[in-house]
Amino acid sequence: MNGIIDITPWQLAGGYLLLLIPLSIFLFQRVPMVREAGIAVIRMTIQLLFVGLYLQVVFRLNNPWLNLAWVGIMVGVADFSIVRGCGLRLSRFVSPVFIALAAGTLVPVFVFMGAILQRSNCLDAQYVIPLWGMVLGNCLRADIIGLRNFYESLKRDEKIYHQSLAQGATLREALDPYMRGALQASLLPTIASMATIGLVALPGMMTGVILAGVNPLTAISYQIAIMIAIFSGTALTVFLALWLTLRKSFDAYGLLDTRVSHKK
Amino acid sequence: MPRESEVVYVRERERSSPPAVIMENLSVAYGEREILHGFNLEVCSGERVLLSGPSGSGKSTVLHCVLGLVVPREGTVMIWGEPVDSSSVWKARLHLGYVPQEPDLGKGTVRQVLEAPFSFRANERLRGNLEKIPAWLDRFDLPVHLLDKEASTLSGGEKQRVALISAILLERSVVLLDEASSALDQDNKRRVAEYFREAPDLTVLAVSHDAEWADFTTRTVSLALMKKGGPK
Repeated sequence: MNGIIDITPWQLAGGYLLLLIPLSIFLFQRVPMVREAGIAVIRMTIQLLFVGLYLQVVFRLNNPWLNLAWVGIMVGVADFSIVRGCGLRLSRFVSPVFIALAAGTLVPVFVFMGAILQRSNCLDAQYVIPLWGMVLGNCLRADIIGLRNFYESLKRDEKIYHQSLAQGATLREALDPYMRGALQASLLPTIASMATIGLVALPGMMTGVILAGVNPLTAISYQIAIMIAIFSGTALTVFLALWLTLRKSFDAYGLLDTRVSHKK
Repeated sequence: MPRESEVVYVRERERSSPPAVIMENLSVAYGEREILHGFNLEVCSGERVLLSGPSGSGKSTVLHCVLGLVVPREGTVMIWGEPVDSSSVWKARLHLGYVPQEPDLGKGTVRQVLEAPFSFRANERLRGNLEKIPAWLDRFDLPVHLLDKEASTLSGGEKQRVALISAILLERSVVLLDEASSALDQDNKRRVAEYFREAPDLTVLAVSHDAEWADFTTRTVSLALMKKGGPK
């Protein structure tokens, strides 16, 4: 197999011409998204350039502490995005969601590094940063779906929830249907993507490994392992995020504190 | 949550403590808006009290305070002599049956709605009562095939009767009714009132505008008069 073809800045600049397609559609249909799309493309470019330059340094130094610090920043940024994305109060939810994300991603990534790749250095930059990033990205999406589903369902079905309390349910018994619903909603996209993977689309990691010139069977092994890591990571982070936020969301009477949401 | 022995102990105590519900100097506010101020009420065992008053006078709030679904800013609620606070509220709710205004029965069939409370550990010992469902449906003029119908598709009157049956099956000693017959026709209002008339051991605290309730309740308490503090 051949190694990957490098993309020069001029070639990449040519790729930006593809953006004329969505831009033309937006202008033709008067879709008011030109500004947002433009900002998103600029942000993507700057962020990835910055990360690319930073990762070059991180990979060259390959210092476990520096790698861990970078992972910590990734988890922190994901944490803020989740809490903001769910419309929840930062002051209340930042710490429990951080713990849920850190613990929920650490377990599958370290199993991947230690048991599957059998790396003696579980903090090797070349592996730990991309793997953690992939698991974390999926956990972020799942956590937003799970937490939003949980708190919005509780607010929408407040009468039913209160009725369960009035009928003698413990807090856990009264919350069980909402926990189930949140876990189902958050894990459904991952389950659906596992069920159709390879048929509907070739996943990013597998495509990357194939483009790098690796045998497709090795690429498939990596993809299976990362999908399992993502699935277990998302299940664990959503479960932990729900349980860890409960203490800050309900009073001793079992009532949902109305101040869980950020005022709009 | 209480164990079964604790529930038995509480039931024993009910017999020796006359006031089923006591509310002392109750004040409730939602933000800046004060709903109740210095509200007092004592409901004795077996008594049927009707709460009356204009909309917004806090009738439903009184019931929610008893259930621990609204925490008063000031004052005390006692159920069978036991103050309702953050630690005792879970046990206190086991004395209370509640039929809310415009009940939302949630998803699932009527059978699932009626069975749901018996999955809670505190109600497990009452599971045998599920066998009485057909008889209760018949008593409140509901067909048995309703059990397999989606609860969300029921009419307002059917939902009220299903919510009432659900409360009856739990055999609570104090029943809180919030406009529990507002969507019923005259025949069914009479049936519901008759049920409570024939159950002298039950303590009832009801909010209603229906004349049928005024007939069988022993006392009417007006919240409009008691809003600024009033006699027991």
